[in-house]
Amino acid sequence: MNEKDQYKNRIELLQGTLDMLILQTLQWGPQHGYGIVQALRLRSGDVLQVETGSLYPALHRLERQSWVQSEWKQSESKQRARYYRITAKGKKQLASDLGRWERIVEAIGSVMYVKPKESES
Amino acid sequence: MKWFPSFGFQRHKRELQEEIDAHLQMAIADRVARGETAETARQAAAREFGNIPLVQDVTREMWGQAWLEQLGRDVRYALRQLRKSPGFTIAATTMLAVAICANSTVFSWIDGTMLRPIPGARDTGELVSLQRGERNFSPTPPFSYLDYRDLREQNHTFAGILAYHHDWITLTGGAQPERAYIANVSANYFDVLGIKPVLGRFFLAEEETRPDAVPNVVLGYSLWKTRYAKDPAIVGKSIEIARHPVTVIGVVPEGFVGAMPGIREDLWVTLDPLGTDVWRMTHRSGGAVWLNVIGRLRPGVSRGQTARDLDTLMHHIVAAYPNDHLGDNRITLDPMWRSPFGANGYMAATLPILLGIAAVVLLLTCANVATLTLVRFVSRRRELAIRQSLGANRMQLVRQMVMEGAMLSTVAGVVALALTSWTSKTFAWFFPPNSNPVALNGSMDSKVVIGIAVASLLAGMLCGALPAWRSSHAPAIEVLKAESASISGGSRNRKLLSGLVVAQIALSLPLLLCSGLFLRTLRNLAGANPGFEQDHILTASVGLNIAGYSHGEEQVIRHKILDRMSALPGVEVASLTDWIPMTLGHKGEDAYPEGYVPHPHESLQVYHAEVAPRYFESLHIPILEGREFTPGDDEKAPRVLIVDETAARRYWPGQDPLGKKLMVWGSPFTVVGVARNSTHMLVNEAPEPMVYMSFFQVGYETIVQVKTEGNPADLAPAVENAIHEIDARLPVFDVRPMRESTQMANIFAVIQSALAGMFALIGLVLAVTGIYGVVAYRTQMRTHEIGVRMALGASRVDVLRLVLLQGMWLTGIGLAVGLAVALGLTRVIARLLYGIGANDPVTMVSVVMLLGAMSLLACYFPAHRAMLRNPVTAIREL
Repeated sequence: MNEKDQYKNRIELLQGTLDMLILQTLQWGPQHGYGIVQALRLRSGDVLQVETGSLYPALHRLERQSWVQSEWKQSESKQRARYYRITAKGKKQLASDLGRWERIVEAIGSVMYVKPKESES
Repeated sequence: MKWFPSFGFQRHKRELQEEIDAHLQMAIADRVARGETAETARQAAAREFGNIPLVQDVTREMWGQAWLEQLGRDVRYALRQLRKSPGFTIAATTMLAVAICANSTVFSWIDGTMLRPIPGARDTGELVSLQRGERNFSPTPPFSYLDYRDLREQNHTFAGILAYHHDWITLTGGAQPERAYIANVSANYFDVLGIKPVLGRFFLAEEETRPDAVPNVVLGYSLWKTRYAKDPAIVGKSIEIARHPVTVIGVVPEGFVGAMPGIREDLWVTLDPLGTDVWRMTHRSGGAVWLNVIGRLRPGVSRGQTARDLDTLMHHIVAAYPNDHLGDNRITLDPMWRSPFGANGYMAATLPILLGIAAVVLLLTCANVATLTLVRFVSRRRELAIRQSLGANRMQLVRQMVMEGAMLSTVAGVVALALTSWTSKTFAWFFPPNSNPVALNGSMDSKVVIGIAVASLLAGMLCGALPAWRSSHAPAIEVLKAESASISGGSRNRKLLSGLVVAQIALSLPLLLCSGLFLRTLRNLAGANPGFEQDHILTASVGLNIAGYSHGEEQVIRHKILDRMSALPGVEVASLTDWIPMTLGHKGEDAYPEGYVPHPHESLQVYHAEVAPRYFESLHIPILEGREFTPGDDEKAPRVLIVDETAARRYWPGQDPLGKKLMVWGSPFTVVGVARNSTHMLVNEAPEPMVYMSFFQVGYETIVQVKTEGNPADLAPAVENAIHEIDARLPVFDVRPMRESTQMANIFAVIQSALAGMFALIGLVLAVTGIYGVVAYRTQMRTHEIGVRMALGASRVDVLRLVLLQGMWLTGIGLAVGLAVALGLTRVIARLLYGIGANDPVTMVSVVMLLGAMSLLACYFPAHRAMLRNPVTAIREL
């Protein structure tokens, strides 16, 4: 698979979903920025590729809102990295983001899969 | 971010860099693990990461400090612009600094006097001073102890009410006798003021009137520091006052100097510490009326309610003791900032007006700097237009231009702050040496700093924002396109420029008018004939009454002094008195003239002075009827007095006053002479009745007064020596020529005219440079047009007229507006004038002429330059 194809298979992240994805990733345990990118790529089967230009601003924004906390730790490969951890406030936010996401999916779904005769009436 | 270095921000930045590095390292490590070479892995990871500085920038915006960075950029831009034109920057900053300093200096004086009437006291806003009878400047103490005690016990409106009386005394017992200002106070004096002792205690209620064999004394901080070297064990020690042993019971905190604004008290004792004043403590009139009273209002009680409460009480007191309360007994309350007792009565009349004048100077300066700024913006309009077409929005441009004004006014504010810390202390310079313990000066505290900040902010807004908003309105395309058509910067800017010039002239006219009126007032006051001789008179105070001599000893010494003085070479006439006119002080006493029925509420208080034989001769005050005092008017002889014309006319109109009687201190005094009126306190006072009594009958303080042949100052050492030859322990002080003492009467006229004159000079310079700048600038902008006119046949005189007319037109409007403003404003200062009307036509015409002539001169230079231009080169110039 060359780089062009790889790019085609990716989906532009919907506005506002990045925060939710990051928080969800951190649910599985504290992680550093690179780890979050890798985790999202793996889980989405190489479809979701987070741009670093969006990731780091997002992480710093989440920290300012105290949805995540950060600390410097050694990684398994002895690399000093900044680990982000989801906070209680962050978990609450994730729950509400998820609820909103489900409503959007449902709403979009009901628009897209609407039965023709119903729309005629 | 070098303008706002902050540790947190730098650390944040470093951590972000580290975080990104870690990200790259892990990506490279993963790729190498998958089998890529180190070099390709590094390149791929970097490519995948993207634009690192951009990521950093975007991330940093999340920290919410972007505005700080933007501010830093604006500041740097403003500094760059200001550095490019150092002439403008220095001129504008200096002008603003001077104008702000003028305001903050006057404000620091207000702050040090009116806003801190009693330094060290708690909540001075709740304190009021009580005055009884007719309101006047510098009243004498209004209450007797018994009246005060009744008010204290029966009022419903005061949280506390104190009484005090102060006078000079001599501290003896040390190596050097020292004169100090001592106050007799009610026991609650310190409590009501809210003062806590730094050492020992203050007075107890039961000590208030109790005489003690060894009385208690509270020391002032500076006295404790200078005379007793801050002895920490001073409490309980015995010191000597006027040769009486007293015990120190406490020391007041640093800064507290007493309850009368502007007067320094050095030590405090109770009301009758020796038991020698029983008469004074048990009577309600005459010499027993000796206390100044200050009350602290209960929370939530207004001054009006309190005044009604006290009036009711006073009414009962008057009804119970009518003979002790003839005349006017209404009570007036004043907040301490304008209390007539002490200095604030004068301060409140003068300083706010000076602050108003200073504010006009600041406005004028802002108009001037705004003119300069506008001219600068107009000449930078191409730069601004280009930046606008490159995408800068108008708000950004305005913000940057306002920033320039803000930078100027901030720097000016800082300079003014530094200057004011010095000028605030110059207030004391105005007061010549005098016989009062004056403690007046400006103060430099947070209020003044806030005042400076507000003034600079205002100045920054006026000189930056107004022109900036106007300039940013210019449509970019037109400016870029119409290169030569908009040479004068568009008609809107021209109107604003003209408006600013008119404003400067209109504002400087009232300044000049005020200072002209003040200066002529001062000249009138100084030139006024006070009715007595001021030259060739020397006075010297002898502290007989405060040094602990017995009455018999005093009388002997006084006679010795008089004999010794008369024999001194160079002395023409020698006399004694206990009062010096025109020194802001006077003695007052209720006097009941025989056969006179006072009007309701008429005050029966008269001014009085005790003078020895030849007093009137030495001061050249003519005795119109009867005789002067003679050596025979002594304690054995019947009591006599001399009245002045005012007293004679008021009490015995159309009758011969000689032989009439006046009851003073409960004894009859017979009138033996009538003296010509002379000035008592201020040249512009309303004449009050004055009675002179015989020094050797009722004299209290001893002041030697000699008429000299030559310069009185030359005789000072001889006079002092002669007194010390009689008794070396006699304290002699305040030896000075009469001329010097009477300066005190004009002190506020001097202050107001000195400051108003200075402010007016600044105003004149600003207005003239303002109109010069605008006319010169505009003429330069019209060089091309003038060239064309000349080529088409206009003569040089036509050109001169063209430019001059333009300037004079502006001047004319400015003068007209200024005159209208001035006519309204001078009414405010009418009260401070003497011998001249607020709308004095001569002053008005001369001020208008001066301003007009200076403006004409300012317009002439650019006009003359334009006239001499060669039309050919002028046309070529765009």
